[in-house]
Amino acid sequence: MINKVKNILCPLAFGIALIMAWQFGLFHKLLKLKPFQLPVPSEIASTLSANLPKALTDCGVTISGALIGLIIGSLIGFMIAAIATFFPKWGYGGMIVVTALNAVPIVALSPIMNLWFSNGMQQKIGVVTVVCMAAMAINAYSGLNNINLYSIDLMHSVAANNWTIFTKLRLPNSLPHLFTATKINIASSIIAAIISEYFASSTAGLGFGIKDNLRKAEMAMGWSYIVVASLAGVILYCIILLVERDAIKWHASQKEIKH
Amino acid sequence: MKKSKFTNLVAVIMLTFLTATGCSSASTPDTTKTTPDKLEKVTLQLKWLPQSQFMGYYLAKSKGYYEAEGIDLEILPGGSDIIPEQQVYNGVADIGVTWVSSLMKYQSKGWGLVQTGQIFQKSAMLLVSKASTGINTPEDLKGKKIASWFGGNEYEIYALLEKNALNKETDVKLVQQDYTMNQLLKGEIDAASAMTYNEYGLLLESGLKDSDLHVINMNDAGVAMLEDCLFVNSEWIAKNEDLYVRFMKASIKGWAEACVDPAAAGQIVFEVDKSVSIDHQLYMAKEVAKLVVPTGFDPANIGFIDPAEVKQTAELALKYGLLTKAAVISDDTVTSKYWKLATAK
Repeated sequence: MINKVKNILCPLAFGIALIMAWQFGLFHKLLKLKPFQLPVPSEIASTLSANLPKALTDCGVTISGALIGLIIGSLIGFMIAAIATFFPKWGYGGMIVVTALNAVPIVALSPIMNLWFSNGMQQKIGVVTVVCMAAMAINAYSGLNNINLYSIDLMHSVAANNWTIFTKLRLPNSLPHLFTATKINIASSIIAAIISEYFASSTAGLGFGIKDNLRKAEMAMGWSYIVVASLAGVILYCIILLVERDAIKWHASQKEIKH
Repeated sequence: MKKSKFTNLVAVIMLTFLTATGCSSASTPDTTKTTPDKLEKVTLQLKWLPQSQFMGYYLAKSKGYYEAEGIDLEILPGGSDIIPEQQVYNGVADIGVTWVSSLMKYQSKGWGLVQTGQIFQKSAMLLVSKASTGINTPEDLKGKKIASWFGGNEYEIYALLEKNALNKETDVKLVQQDYTMNQLLKGEIDAASAMTYNEYGLLLESGLKDSDLHVINMNDAGVAMLEDCLFVNSEWIAKNEDLYVRFMKASIKGWAEACVDPAAAGQIVFEVDKSVSIDHQLYMAKEVAKLVVPTGFDPANIGFIDPAEVKQTAELALKYGLLTKAAVISDDTVTSKYWKLATAK
């Protein structure tokens, strides 16, 4: 119990100290910045509260695009991993292609997607989908295939077919890997969605807000968008953590360490 | 025994190396002495990529006008995420080229920057549509999809809409424009922002004719805001008045020559950066010359800051929401002092 309190209090105190140092000009002194170059937290907070409805609408646009892209990308990634598992001889080619796609930088991907889709939302979903495929495919593939050999032998000995092996053995075994991939993808999907908005024709979304305001010397407003983006990312990550805790209670990573 | 021989060898090699480097470092000052370097280094931050939009500076540099004034000028290209105001304030560059409306915004937020010259006397901003779309007057924009680059470039369009009783939220759909004209060519938007010297030329180069296009000119519509100007950091100029005046002299000389013979100036810019075709650079040079020395403008006045135009830009910027409080126009924000010294007026 005491440990738990400590685990919460220490980071909290550190965070507050950091914000205080920012508010009272320590960073400005260290980096030789003026408040109009780096707004202080109180100014960001007041700007954010004055523009909250707009910031939340823009946040909704970005996050919904990120989540839809995340779901589509993860599904495609998982399918590729599953195909590579069932048909290792030729299916593994898909894994190689998807890994290669992962190396395409988002800044190159966004203008390309702009040419393909005229609608800002489709473009955003397209970028996020491509970004999310690889992490899911690679993690799912290792989850579906890193299996205790004796388990497979056991399944064979009771005459289980490939489908049964897949649903009863491979799929449960891959769950922790799927959650790892989702946790990676949550962060990258938000980043991808925001960057894609830099290039999109749409004027809605956090990415456009950050870029436009920082160019127009509206630093406090730009930072408000940055704060909203970070908060949204943290909240989504926490939701995944909670779901994971519930879904794979049996896994070693979820067992509480006894002191 | 063998080992000690080896260490001796290493020691000898190291010693030779040390004396060699010692000698070379000792001889360096001699070579610099023979070539006296009295040029003062100045950096100029452009608002955009190296192109004929900035031909006056490139011409002056290539003809040695800056050197004649004792200046070694370095020209820094701009880009979509390079903001001249920030570069000059942070000291990355000494002098910057930006739009007046954008500079006013930074000044109003407390950035210590001062406008010291005005190169473009006219606004180059157009709203272009295909003739088939049927946008003949600003009123026809109602219900249309209009594109802008945003980031401060949207306010002439806002002013145009409001002046013609159109609401920018409900009567039209504003979208973000990329740096090509593909959205207009593909019909994804009805009207696109275009600079007379750049994007309009791209449309012509893509095979369209003047007669295929309808144009709304911000100067004619009475909502023109000033664009390319010169500005500096207030603290820097206080210490470098003479240096800046010399920069102005050479720059004005360069611009005057470029506007007399834009084709030659465009060629010089093309030699600097071959990323854009020579045809486009020449087209741009011709159009830019019209902005720097418009019809009826005395070429001897290149760089002149017209107070009435500055006032109009400030008023439009306030009225249409770029500024939240009226721009302070004083000697601390806009000054013709150095221009007068440079042109001996």
